[in-house]
Order: sequence, then C-alpha cells, then structure tokens
Amino acid sequence: MNIFSSLLTIAILAALSHATLAQEELSREQLNFFEAKIRPVLIKECYGCHSAKTGATKGGLMVDTKEALLLGGDSGPAIVPGELDESLLWGSINHEDYNMPPGKMLSDKVLDDFKKWIEMGAPDPRVMKITEIKSEITAADVEKGREFWAFKPPALPSIPKVNDESWAETEIDQFVLAKLEQNELQPADDAEAETVLRRLTYGLVGLPPTPDQVAWMNKNFRRDPKAAIEKVVDELLEQEQFGERWGRHWLDIARYGESTGREVNVTYSNAWRYRDYVIDSFNADKPYDEFVQEQIAGDLLPIKSDEDWAENLIATGFLAMGSKALAEQNGRQFRLDLIDEQVDVTSHAILGVSVACARCHDHKFDPIPQSDYYAMSGIFENTSTHYGTIDTLQNRRPSNLIVLPVNDPKLKEKKLSRKELQELKDQLAEVQEQYREATRARIQMRRGGKSSKDPQQATISVARSSTQKAALESKINSYDSNGNPHTYAMGVQEVDKLIETRLLDRGEFDRPGQVVERGFPQVMCAEPVELNAKSSGRLELARWMGSDKNPLTARVMVNRIWQHMMGQAIVRTPENFGATGQSPTHPELLDWLAVKFVKENWSVKAIVREIAISHIFRTGSKFDSAAFNADPLNEMLWRYEPRRLDAEAIRDSLLSISGQLESERPYASIAGIAGEGLVRDGTVFSVADKSNSGGSMQTSSRRGRRNQGGMAGMMANRSGGAVTMLDQPVKYRSVYLPIVRDNIARSLEVFDFAESSMVIGTRETSNTPDQGLYFLNNEFVIEQSELFARRLMAENSDVETQVRGAFLWAYGREATNGEISAAKEFYEQFEVPNRASRRDNSSPALKKLSALCQAILASAEFRFLN
Amino acid sequence: MPPLKGKPMNNPLFSRRQMLQTLSSGFGYLAFSSLATAAAAKERDDKPTNPLAPKDPHFAAKAKRVIFLCMRGGPSHLDTFDYKPELIKNHGKTGSFRGSLLKSPWDFKQRGESGLWISSLLPEIGSMADELCLLRGMNTDLPVHPRAMTQLHTGATQFVRPSLGSWALYGLGTENESMPGFVSVNTPAGSSQDIGNSFLPSVFGGTKVGGLGGGRLSRGRRRGGSQESVPDIKNSGITKQQQRTQLDFIQRLNNEKMQRDKHQPGVEGVIESYELAFRMQSAMPNLMDISDEDQATLDLYGINDNATGSFGRQCLLARRMSESGVRFVEVSHNGWDTHFSMDSKIPNLCQQIDKPIAGLLTDLKQRGLLEDTLVIWAGEFGRTPYAQNGNGRDHNNKGFTTWMAGGGVKGGFSYGATDENGYEAVEGKCHIHDWHATILHLLGLDHTQLTYRYAGRDFRLTDVHGNVLKDIVA
Repeated sequence: MNIFSSLLTIAILAALSHATLAQEELSREQLNFFEAKIRPVLIKECYGCHSAKTGATKGGLMVDTKEALLLGGDSGPAIVPGELDESLLWGSINHEDYNMPPGKMLSDKVLDDFKKWIEMGAPDPRVMKITEIKSEITAADVEKGREFWAFKPPALPSIPKVNDESWAETEIDQFVLAKLEQNELQPADDAEAETVLRRLTYGLVGLPPTPDQVAWMNKNFRRDPKAAIEKVVDELLEQEQFGERWGRHWLDIARYGESTGREVNVTYSNAWRYRDYVIDSFNADKPYDEFVQEQIAGDLLPIKSDEDWAENLIATGFLAMGSKALAEQNGRQFRLDLIDEQVDVTSHAILGVSVACARCHDHKFDPIPQSDYYAMSGIFENTSTHYGTIDTLQNRRPSNLIVLPVNDPKLKEKKLSRKELQELKDQLAEVQEQYREATRARIQMRRGGKSSKDPQQATISVARSSTQKAALESKINSYDSNGNPHTYAMGVQEVDKLIETRLLDRGEFDRPGQVVERGFPQVMCAEPVELNAKSSGRLELARWMGSDKNPLTARVMVNRIWQHMMGQAIVRTPENFGATGQSPTHPELLDWLAVKFVKENWSVKAIVREIAISHIFRTGSKFDSAAFNADPLNEMLWRYEPRRLDAEAIRDSLLSISGQLESERPYASIAGIAGEGLVRDGTVFSVADKSNSGGSMQTSSRRGRRNQGGMAGMMANRSGGAVTMLDQPVKYRSVYLPIVRDNIARSLEVFDFAESSMVIGTRETSNTPDQGLYFLNNEFVIEQSELFARRLMAENSDVETQVRGAFLWAYGREATNGEISAAKEFYEQFEVPNRASRRDNSSPALKKLSALCQAILASAEFRFLN
Repeated sequence: MPPLKGKPMNNPLFSRRQMLQTLSSGFGYLAFSSLATAAAAKERDDKPTNPLAPKDPHFAAKAKRVIFLCMRGGPSHLDTFDYKPELIKNHGKTGSFRGSLLKSPWDFKQRGESGLWISSLLPEIGSMADELCLLRGMNTDLPVHPRAMTQLHTGATQFVRPSLGSWALYGLGTENESMPGFVSVNTPAGSSQDIGNSFLPSVFGGTKVGGLGGGRLSRGRRRGGSQESVPDIKNSGITKQQQRTQLDFIQRLNNEKMQRDKHQPGVEGVIESYELAFRMQSAMPNLMDISDEDQATLDLYGINDNATGSFGRQCLLARRMSESGVRFVEVSHNGWDTHFSMDSKIPNLCQQIDKPIAGLLTDLKQRGLLEDTLVIWAGEFGRTPYAQNGNGRDHNNKGFTTWMAGGGVKGGFSYGATDENGYEAVEGKCHIHDWHATILHLLGLDHTQLTYRYAGRDFRLTDVHGNVLKDIVA
C-alpha cells in the first residue's frame, strides 16, 4: 500500500489553490520591499500590456493584483509563490519561457529583487475585490422546488384497480391497464411467440434467436406464455452476453471513449479496463447502489482485498473518461472544464438532472442556485484526475495514471532486468543533461543575442530533448524498482491539500466570489448534509448518490431499464427529470418500480425480469388507427412500440447469423494494445521511443507489444513507435470494438452509435440512404452474407430449404408465402454469368444464395424489432 | 458537369409495380399529413410521384435553393460585421454591464459602393460587400449553445422539431432525383438533430456528407477513394443490373412488411432511402470529386492553402451540389466560441472562412447562380461588448448579426441595429422566427401555410410567430 501511494504522482494543483483571497497579514518589511522594489517595475515595465487599468491583457495575463498573478494568463500561473522554477514570470523576465519585457533585459539587480520576492512567497498587498454574488433563488424557492414530483422521494403507490382483472398478470400490468382503461383504450392482442422471443433475445443479450430456440418457443409459448418467457429470461440473464448488452447501455451513459477526442486526439490505452469492469458488474448483478458508489469514490471505499481495491480504482475511471482538450493553453480553464465535465456526467447520468447548467448563473428552470454548482464542483476540485497522456509538444495538459495494487497477469510488457532498467536510467540522465544544455543555450542566445546559434535551432533542441525526457520518464515509471511492469488504470484520487472553492461570477476564473462550502444540490436533500471538512466530500457524495437518500437515483435507473425493455421510457427525457424534462407517462408505475428496485437490493436483473414477465411486454405492435388518433405518441402503451435495432445488435447479428461471431472477450482492445498515441484518420501513431541509442530499447513496452501482438495492420512508424489501424477485421462482439472518439467504426457509426463525448440515454434512430449504401455495398456485409450462404448450403443441398433457412435465421420466424414467392422470383431473375467455375466460391449457386441472403439481411424486417 | 436546373422528376424506378403498392397502401405518415387530401391521394394513384419531386411554391420564388453557412459557437458580431464607434469611446467603462467594455481590437472599413462597415479581418468578404444584406438586429431566446443552435435550425429551443432544410425540402421537393435534397457538409458529431426531419417523413432529413479530419471522410480517403469520397458508394462484385434485381427483391420484402405492419414510418423510410441510395451511387462520386475543377476555381476558394483549404473545399462542394439541384446545402464551420484569447482565435477563424466564402459568392455570381441561390451566414448567437477573461467575450442572445446574399435579397444593404455598444437589438429586430419566415418567403413559401399535421396538430417552422422582413427583399 505504501509503495502504491508513494508511486502516485498527483496532478497539477489548481493555481487558485494557493491563493488566499482574504488579506494576508504582510509584515512591514515585506510591504516595504514590494512597494520599493516590485510595484514600480510592474507599473513601468508590465502594466502597458497586462493591466485591467489600461485594458490591455495580452495573452490573457494581468499583473495588477496578487490573484491575477496567481491565476496567470493563457499559459498558466505567472507566479507560484516560493517556486521560482514554476513561476512563468520569472522564466519570462529571464527570457526563458517568454521574452519579457519584449526585447529588453531587466538589470541584474531588478532580476535579483524579483527572485527574492518570489522566494519569500510573493507578498503583495494589491488584493482583488471580492464581490458577494447573490442568488436569485431563495431558500423558499428551494423548499418549494422540493414539491416538484421528481424531487419528492418515491413513495410506494397503491396498486390501481382494473376492470379486466384476468388480463393483468403482474402489478406492472395493473398500472398500465388502469391507465389504458381510464383513456378508453385497450392493450393490443398478444404478439406471436417468435416475436416475443426476438424481443427477449435482443433486449437481454443483443443477439438474434437461433432456429432451435424459435422451435422451442413456438411449442412452449402456446401452452403457457408466461412460463415460457420466464424460462427464456432466466436462461438469458445467466449468459455472459447479458453484461455485454447492458454494460454497453451504461457505457453510453458514461460517455465511454478510448481517446481524448478534440484537436489533439490521444488514446486512453487503459480505458478498456473500465469497460470490462462495467460488463462484469452487470453480469454479476452488482447492486446498482454499489455500482454507483464505486464509480464516484471507489478509491475511498472500504475494501477486503487488493483485488477489490483494484476493481474499485478501475471503477473511478468513470470520472476520468471524458473528452479533454489537451491543446488548451490555459491550465486553470482546463481544470475548470474538467471539473465541470465531472459535475455534468455525475448529475446527468445518475440523478437525471443538469447541475452543470448552474456554472455561470442560477439554473434557469430548476431550483438549483449557482452556489449549488460550486458546492458540488468543490468536491471534484479536491479530487485529482488521472487520465494518462504524456507530455509532448502538442499535449499541453499531460496527466498520469493510477498504479493498480494487483498486476494484470495478461500484461504484454516483459520484466526488465536490472541491467536494462539501469540502462534506461542512464539514458534518461543523458537526455536530462541534453535538455539542460539546450535550455541554457537558448537562454544565452536570448539574453546576449550574440550567440552564434540559430534561434530556431535552439528551440528545436529544447523541444526534442524535452519530449525525449518525457517519453523516457514515462517508460521508467511504468516499471517498479525491480523491473516489473506496473498495471495502470484511469481514475481519481483525493488531493494532498484541500482547497476552498469560490463561486465564480459568470463561471469566469478571474472573477471569484464568496467561498462556497462543499455539498450537494439542496433541492434533492431533504435534510442538510454534513461533509467531513477534512476530505473532499467525494465519499459522502458517492454514498448519497448511490442510495435512496436522494429522490432520483432509483427512479432514473428503473426508467432506463424500462426504456431498454419497452422501447420507450416512462420519463421520455431520461437525462432530464427536471422542470424542462417531460413528465412521466406513468408516475405511479415509475415509483413502484423505484421502490421495488431498492427493495430487491438494487438488482438490475430483478427489474429486467419483472418487466419481461409482465403481460404488457408480450402485447403485439399492431397498428390501430383509432388508438393512434387518441394517443399518437403511444404514451398509454396501446401497443408495443416497434423500433430499430441499434448498431451493435445489427453488427453482432450479422456475425452470429453467418456463424462467425466469437463469443470470447478479447484482451484489452485494439486501441489499448496500440498503446498511448495520437489518432489521425482511423490510425493510432503510438508514442515513439525517441531515443536513438538502440540496444536496451529492445525490451521497451512498445516494441514488446509489437512483437507479441502480431496484430494485422500494425507496423513501425518512422520514429520507432507502432502504427495501428483501428479498423481491423475482428469478429468479436461490437462492445469490444475500439471506441476512439471521432474515429468510430463504420458499422457502428452508420446506425447512430452514441456520441462518446456526451451522456447519451437515448440514441438517435436515423433512417438514411447511407444505411442503404452500407447494406448494399459494404465489404463486411457482403462477406457475412456469403458466409451465411455457405452455412446454409452446408446444412442442406435443397435450394428451397436453404432459402427457408435464410429467413428463419435472419428473422427468427418461418418465411411467409409472399416472401417465399418473392425469393423464388429473385432466384430466377438474378443472373449469374455461367463461367467455368474455377472454384467452389464462384459457383453460380453460391453467388445467387449470397445475394439472396444479403437482400434478406438488408431488408427492414431484419433491422426492426416488432 | 452541366447544371440540372429544372430537370423534371420522372424516375422510372418509382413507377415500378412495387412502388405503386407502396404509394397506394403505405405512406402512413403522408396519410396523416395535410398533403394527403383526397384529391392528392387520387392524383398519386393516377400518377406515381416521388415525395421529393419538385413542387410549386406558394407564390413566385426569389430563391430556388439555399446554401447555409453555419458558424458554430457564436461568432462575435462586434469583431466582424457590426461596427460600433461608440464602443471604442466607451472602451474600459463598465456602466451597467457585468464587465468592462471591450472595443474590437481590429479596424473596420467601409467597403464597396454601398460602404458597408466590415472588419479588416474579412478583407475578401468585404470586397463582396455590395452583395451582402446584413441583418444587424438579430436576437434569439437563449444564450446557451445547444439550445440556441437547435433554435437556429428548428425554431424550437427544446423540443425535437424538423430542421429548416427539412421544411424547405418538404415544401419544394428537390431537383436532383439522384441526390438527397438536403445535404449537410461537415456536421459535427452529436448534432444530427440540427439537420433532422423529426416528425416529417425521413426522406426530408438532412444527409451528412464528409467532415474533414474526422470519421467518414477520412476513412474514405484512407481506402484510396477520391478525396471527398463517400463510404460504400460502390460494389465492385456485382453489375448494376444484378444490383437492381437485388434491390427490387429487398423492396418487395419491405413492402411485404409494410402491408403487415400498416403504420410504420421506419419501414417507409427504409424503402425511400434505398431508392435514393441506389441512385446516389452514380451521382455522388461525381459530385464529390473536384478533380474536374480548374486551377483558377481551386484558387478562388483557397483550396491549396493550409488555412483555407478545408473550409474552401466544403464551400466548393456546396456550390457543386447547389448547381446540381440539391435544394438545401448546409456547411458547418466550428470554433467561434471565443470566451478568451480572442485576439489570436478570431483572426484565425476569420482567415479560414474569408477567402472560401468570398470565392463561393464570386463563383456563384459568375455562373449566374447567385441571383436565385440564397446564401446565408449565421451563428447561433453573438457575443457581449463587455470582456470576459480579459480578452474574450461571453454569449449574447440579445443582439447579433447574420447576413444573406443573392436569392432575392438587397445587396449592399444593412437592416436593423444594436444599441451604441452592440449589446441589444434596438432597431429592425429580427428574431429567429422572423429569420425563418423570411427565408421561407424568399423560397416562395408562406410560413403560415407550410404546415404538417402530426399528433393531432398542424405544426409549422415558425410555430405561432414570425414576420417576414419585407424591407430586405429586392
């Protein structure tokens, strides 16, 4: 444990953390020093371009208050009290970081004064005026806001009476039927056995039913539909594919992505551990309250073993997974945006409300004052986020990762010998020396101006040695002192030193207001919350969010489960339970499910099962024009809402039907195996081993991976790092495809895959010609169609049986007469030139059947669920 | 490639038997629409029509097609098209504002014969001043990106409603049967709703094309396609005739499903999108391949320049599509959210669009297309005259500038104004609803008459709002 914590390097603390905005007592000596030596220089040399008074703020920097200096400009804090090397102002007046004042070197005496001043902690009496920012939302408004349905705790409703008691088989049915009866509507007639089976297999495991399953269902459904469904559901809930299906739903919510996205798109090579954690959690039916708690504060929860600890740490990857603007120049802005993203994802995903709306002003619609936002952001401000990405030229916001207490046995890196490790360290020392020398040369050149060196050359030398240094440091840090490779994960930790959070006027970092105590949105807390002042409060947040102590968590999750089972949610804005969201179509049912969920120990599987065995789940999707006119949006559930399958279900089905689907989970992901690197045009350019001195580099992680990986499409790039194409012909389930932001696989993107930078509760279902082109022309589709045809031909030599088999596999039911006659006609009309068949695979029969299979897969029936 | 203007829509594929069946038995959505009067239904039975076939406007149109240059992030009107001499004088003052006023760091100059004041950051667009109709009194409901962007496109801030382009297509149909009638170039991920058909039939939805640096386009390029190629546009293992036979079979299966399911907009959408996809296979690669353009044209759009190449190529694509008869083309340019560091960001952004847009206007003009092509430049809102983070500006929904050119608007004309500092529209106010009403008007459509019945109600783009800005019509 000690080793672990000492290995953690903590992310750069926010500049403001050191800023005590309250007036510090300055000694007379300090004051005199500042007034005599510092203030006159600042006024004379700097205010011209960097002062609120003159209105000029070049590079975003103002130097006319203490706070402004601490905040700094676009490049970061100008002063870090006591830290000469980290103070940009010092580097700039020395013409290292910048050339300030432009083209002029201050005298050695002035430089010495500044050195002393920064070293004594930069005492400065020029304090920024703090304004108290008043909220327009009063305590009474918040109290009144608690009357809104979503902010009241769910209460167990009484089960409504219905007229047609024989129809209603479960409590769910009574709620739904009562509503229908009130509106003088009827539930639709029951669907066919095979239709219900298809709903079940897609709904629970995301795959089509096999002909054997169809036959079984047809036989047993007739006898006792409910019993047949129960048997199927219980079997499906035990399959590993359940977690792959439902885990993916959560990954949409968690805006899971394996790269930073944005302008500088760098892979998160350990993100997949979080993906696997989510899938395993759903398969284990981990209680949802625990699942939530682990993702917010897994690092702080009590544990029994190192294995538990590792799992909990991986869970906190939830908070680190967001997209990041690595090119951001302003460190404070980057940090605030990161915190904002964490507030946004937790509140949207788990509570179904938008708290992040209140970053700049009170929430416009919900009773969430701006101070509530800062109360919550204070928790994340005191959290350090570890997402990896090393310091390179393009990456201005590098971070590190968390070392797991348990090693991954499948890790590709080999152990380094003592000698190899030493060689790396020697190289680092060498590069560090080069870096120092290059920096010195550049300073000299800037100061004297007379140095013979070309200025561009000097800059390049500094940049090159600095990147080499970062790459080597990162490599050495990825082994322990015995040369064993570490296993890393993304995640969060507590900060070393707590800082207080201030409300920011309009969300601007240079307009701090009053201190805000850390806490949760008041409207959701019936009782005041007490946070431990000695911690960030994240553990309390996790325990509050992952519980029934707030009115929303259970409701929001059962609403999502209902949505995935029934095709539409009870609250049709699953991310927005607030005033601007839609009201529940069945408020009592929602509460009943929420209460049941908590009672069933937050078991997702229990709720899935409860819905699956209801009568309403097996009603038909037949259109009824009278009902449509009365309720065009089908809010009363007068029929089961037909819907299109999502991208993963379509791709997985193609592989499943063709007999090619590999059900084993692959190790890591293509992006994870590629390692950290820059993504461009669907390709990962892994961080190169920039060292030129060969030899010991052989065992480096990158090359080790390349040698062992044997992945198609992987080769060395010019600077030594691996080049990996993301689009590879893999046959495992779609949930394991690389989810690299802005580089999503075509098979997923074309069918409205979730945008991986946002919390997505409902995917779009577009209907585009591009989807037509995909089914007509895509190589993968054509290949699977041919393999499907081969499978049918291998099973039976009779053409009609083959054709009937094609329909059965693809649609999960027998073909209709119309379909068979259409197929026969096609089979006759589709002309294949009768060339001398060179091989089996060019036989006319195969070609015809392949084209037929492709058409069956391309039709609407295949991609819709009735 | 010659323009396909006014080519009659007479697609033999749609007269096929199975399509007839679709039209008479299906089209559930249309059956509930205001278009589906008994007379119209009868006419359809007699003479099969494509829902995308050109339709007559309500009255004589000034513009036949639209190119919408969508500037995402909220471009600063104060540093581009809204000259505020008083703001220069008031620089540094706070007044009633939440921050100190910030003058534009860049000069404005009077350009063209009309003498419109335009920022020196846009010299090329400035040279086209006499074509521009500046709307300086714009306002929108909310200063929040997604909501305002949704309103700019659909009129609504919150609900999912059809996009402007979808309404235009629904009202007028399109003139190129082999291309989607509403194409969106470089739509950022996650903004599909902005170009979505919502409750209109899916055939009226926007089709995304390309997007530089991300997703589809780059993959097309990697696979050795032409630079702007569309994925899966060709099947080399099958002849056209074989594919048609295959598609006929697919459509028969789809029609079988339609018969069974009755009301299924999703299945209708599949049927329609397959026909379009089939035709796109020949039309799309030609349109996307710009190798037949001469050097002078490429230079005009700045295509061989790093700063302007990407947006220039998109503008050129927009022209090619418009010219071929695509009714509504939208092109996105991102990055205008300048909360800080605007002194470096805004010049870059302006440089990226200046030459391409001026090139587009010039090119349209020299081809005689500008007179009936409406070019629109707009972001979701403007920015505040007071500073944010020292050298940036905050969102401002109360006053901003958009412009139009060609398509029957007055050139070299400025309409409306913000107050002395450029904060709030005070004269010639144009809300997004008015803006939509005016665009439809220029297309010959009465925004109060262009309705679609859905969920028991007649919907329109402008809801119950919207006044046409008659003063800007030439």
